[in-house]
Amino acid sequence: MSGILTRLKDKLASYRVPGYRTKFDYKWTMVVDLDRCNGCEACVVACYAENNLPVVGKRDCDISRRFSWIRIERYVEGTYPDVKVKFIPIMCQHCDAAPCEIGCPVYATYHNQDGLNVQVYNRCVGTFTCATYCTYDVRRFNWFTYKWDAPLEQQLNPDVTVREMGVMEKCTFCIQRIRVAKDTAKDEGRKVQEGDMKTACEQSCPTDAITFGDLNDPHSKVSKLAKSPRRYRLLEELDTDPSVIYLKRVMEDRKGSGHGTSHG
Amino acid sequence: MKRRDFLKFIGAGGIGTGLGILFGQAIKPPGSKLIPYLIPPEDVIPGLANWYASLCTQCSAGCGVLVKVMDGRAKKVEGNPLHPVSNGKLCVRGQSGVQTLYNPDRITGPMKRKGARGSNSFEPISWDEAIREVSGKLKELSSKGEAEKLYLLSSSLGGHLGMLADDFMAGFGSSNSIKYDLFDNRNLRYANKSTMGLDAIPHYDIENTQYLLSFGADFASTWLSPVALSRGYGEMRQGGHSARGKFVQVEPRLSLTAANADDWVPAKPGTEAILALAIAREIVESGHYKGSDVSAWKSLLAPFGRTYAAGVTDVDKGKIRTIAKEFMNARPSLAIGGESISGYSNGVSGLVAINILNHVAGNLGIEGGVQPNSSDLFAGRRADRVGPGIDALIKAANGSGIGLLLHYNNNPAFTTPGSAHAVEAIKNVPYIASFSSFMDETTALADIILPSHTSFEDWGDDFTDPAPGFQVATLMQPVVSPVFKTRSLGDTIIGLGKGVGGAAAAKMPEGTYAEHLKDSWSGLYTRNKAMNASELTFERFWRDTLAKGGWWKESKPKMSKLKVSARSAARHISKEPAKFEGDNSQYPLYLIPYAQAGHLDGRGANVPWLQELPDPITSVVWGSWVEINPKTASRLGVKMGDMVEIESPYGKILSPVFVYEGIRPDTVAVPIGQGHKLYGRYAENRGANPLEVLPPTVDSRTGAYALNSTRVRIVKTGRPGDLVKMDVSTDELGRNIVQTVPPGGAPHKDTSHH
Repeated sequence: MSGILTRLKDKLASYRVPGYRTKFDYKWTMVVDLDRCNGCEACVVACYAENNLPVVGKRDCDISRRFSWIRIERYVEGTYPDVKVKFIPIMCQHCDAAPCEIGCPVYATYHNQDGLNVQVYNRCVGTFTCATYCTYDVRRFNWFTYKWDAPLEQQLNPDVTVREMGVMEKCTFCIQRIRVAKDTAKDEGRKVQEGDMKTACEQSCPTDAITFGDLNDPHSKVSKLAKSPRRYRLLEELDTDPSVIYLKRVMEDRKGSGHGTSHG
Repeated sequence: MKRRDFLKFIGAGGIGTGLGILFGQAIKPPGSKLIPYLIPPEDVIPGLANWYASLCTQCSAGCGVLVKVMDGRAKKVEGNPLHPVSNGKLCVRGQSGVQTLYNPDRITGPMKRKGARGSNSFEPISWDEAIREVSGKLKELSSKGEAEKLYLLSSSLGGHLGMLADDFMAGFGSSNSIKYDLFDNRNLRYANKSTMGLDAIPHYDIENTQYLLSFGADFASTWLSPVALSRGYGEMRQGGHSARGKFVQVEPRLSLTAANADDWVPAKPGTEAILALAIAREIVESGHYKGSDVSAWKSLLAPFGRTYAAGVTDVDKGKIRTIAKEFMNARPSLAIGGESISGYSNGVSGLVAINILNHVAGNLGIEGGVQPNSSDLFAGRRADRVGPGIDALIKAANGSGIGLLLHYNNNPAFTTPGSAHAVEAIKNVPYIASFSSFMDETTALADIILPSHTSFEDWGDDFTDPAPGFQVATLMQPVVSPVFKTRSLGDTIIGLGKGVGGAAAAKMPEGTYAEHLKDSWSGLYTRNKAMNASELTFERFWRDTLAKGGWWKESKPKMSKLKVSARSAARHISKEPAKFEGDNSQYPLYLIPYAQAGHLDGRGANVPWLQELPDPITSVVWGSWVEINPKTASRLGVKMGDMVEIESPYGKILSPVFVYEGIRPDTVAVPIGQGHKLYGRYAENRGANPLEVLPPTVDSRTGAYALNSTRVRIVKTGRPGDLVKMDVSTDELGRNIVQTVPPGGAPHKDTSHH
């Protein structure tokens, strides 16, 4: 008995210590290359299809209730004719030091050992705390139980829960696909390998801007891309330690813009 | 339920069962509905997905897709990773195919008009009645000796369906097949045919180019083959094989594609062709062009001097020179043109100018340049896609030249300029039968509707055009059983042909369209050495091809010699800018209506996902808008969201203002796609259709409507608009969200990728 307790204690001690993630099986990571991304939003529709995101209509869009778990933000710099528009896909950053996890009174959102920030719909009581704490505005709340006009509901993905009123949700890194990959790997007595699964957004991306994989695997594509000199993380100064790594867009500074935006 | 009711229910069930036994097959016992999974269909395991290879028909690019099917329902569409066009990727519209399939506003079965024409009042009839009625009307027409008065109006039908339709028309005795889509690249095909002799659209090798100069081609959202070209774009920027390519976009409005360019050149609308020719002149004058006909080119391009061009195009002389230098020195470089440049009154001239540019820079027939596509597979039977345009149909309808109109899968009542009066013309046709799957503005004019399957319920094929440098034939197979009482268009045509009898019936194949498709492929297989080289039996080849999603043999594109002769080009170029309707003092602003990523020519507007998808540039959802430069807006005294009238000499529409830095101050732009009067609950009465204010200008060489051919004025209404945009701010407020690194400033290309 005491053996088990000691082991549990060791495990807990290793968890949440800097570098803990290398001690576990996987560290799921996403790399988004902003020099490839052309802002086409194929990823957004892919996410709607895969994760049963409801369509809320114009009125609800107007009061920011749109459900997209991944969105493209656009920033316009300069004035005509010297204009630049920049795009960035933003989804849950699966922070290792996630502000949302601290706030939840019922542990509906917590960190799993693969580095995922997960949301347990059954636990969620809808206090909205996580969404308030979130640095990246990626959490979406079910103000209603949304309906699909028949027969559109026939498209719903049975691998993903259809959420109900009062529940908070967000990008899961397509945990249902990770689950399948892990189960298959387990059946075959191995670890999940590069290429076993893709997230829906990654799968659809025409320019190959999104790459998903295991940062603990030194040979994975994400591990290689994560070493890029163009690497940065979103609002890194806030120390949320996100699992999403962006690669800077290669872009001329605008003429006459003294400072530019490059910190590279 | 009360106990007595329950007993009644049991009793009724008992009687039903008894009758079932009495009548044998006539009434199946209730059990037959309960036990199907005791002996399940061969490849269905409840809870596990099957992926079927098929074809996307949301636009004409012809991407191969995989459809995820669980328990007989289509769940998700993804690109087919084996397919050389989609390469496993798919755009916003392609992925929405499932919402087209399960759209609540589909036409659920054959219907006959009840009220006045256009009143959208129909009553259901049976398929037999429908076929009988339409073939009766066809027979009537042919017995009057007016077979020539049969018109078929459809989108460009790819593959064997198009050939079957042609057979039907030929058998009936009519040659009036009108293919029409708003974005059918009619001008591009014509320009390429007349200057380079190309039948098929060539492969524009963006992936391997070092310098991409695009005139208006919005390939990130709608142009030609967005998925394939976007993949090429990603590789050009960060693919591992060569240095990062540079990209310059010329157009009056900063589109999604221009947002990705290193440089945006907002030339004055209608003068892009002159800019292209001025660049070509610089190249020829510099001595870069080494062809034997250099003197012919020199004299042809002589009028397009830098000073003249700068004055007309509003692009300064230095810039023209820089672009010319970079374009000829970067090897290989590539110029492409489409959408805005091909939408002027002289659209063909602009595209010819781009071919000239590629010719003099030496980009034709090379890797990273323009590569010809062959069309040998069809043995000369390729459906001619640059036939007469929709203007020919409107003329015929107005002159009582049409006795019976068959209509499928396009919507000219929505996608032609209001001033062309297509609706009024079509109303003149005595009898209209439509095969549409959705009730749109044109289908509502029909007398009878024989609704067709959507692509995931149907058989079909497509010979990809533009192909990726080698031939690609994609197969479409039904992945789910039909959701409603619709039919395969092929079967409807065969049914009508047989119903009519005579030569039309003789031209129709035995059996169903599915069988005909397989037979046709058997013919392809026998004829083409490349297909039967592996010496499989046809049955085996067919099975493999269905599983794979089609047939293609990846090969390096043939780098055959392409050239543009100065003589063929001379006919098409001119020093005059394109013409615009509307007097400059009355109507001071150029109008650019453009294809929007989600809705294309308006056909995406009935898909809820696409309505709620923010426009990539403005982030507007569920509506339309007019883009106005801030300087112009402040001069007019309007601000973001204000409702304004956009008025041309041909009419006016209402739209909320979107103030945008990425548009010329003398230009406004309105997306196409919204403003449907009919097209289901998600599309109807939402936003405005800019085509309503366009003049009926066509490029006389092709019959393609010129979208950018009028000036407009903006009139304040003083009311707020209904603009809903998802972006709160487009200013980073110093937070460095999208970080950048200048080219050359730091190592900017990853060799680790791929």
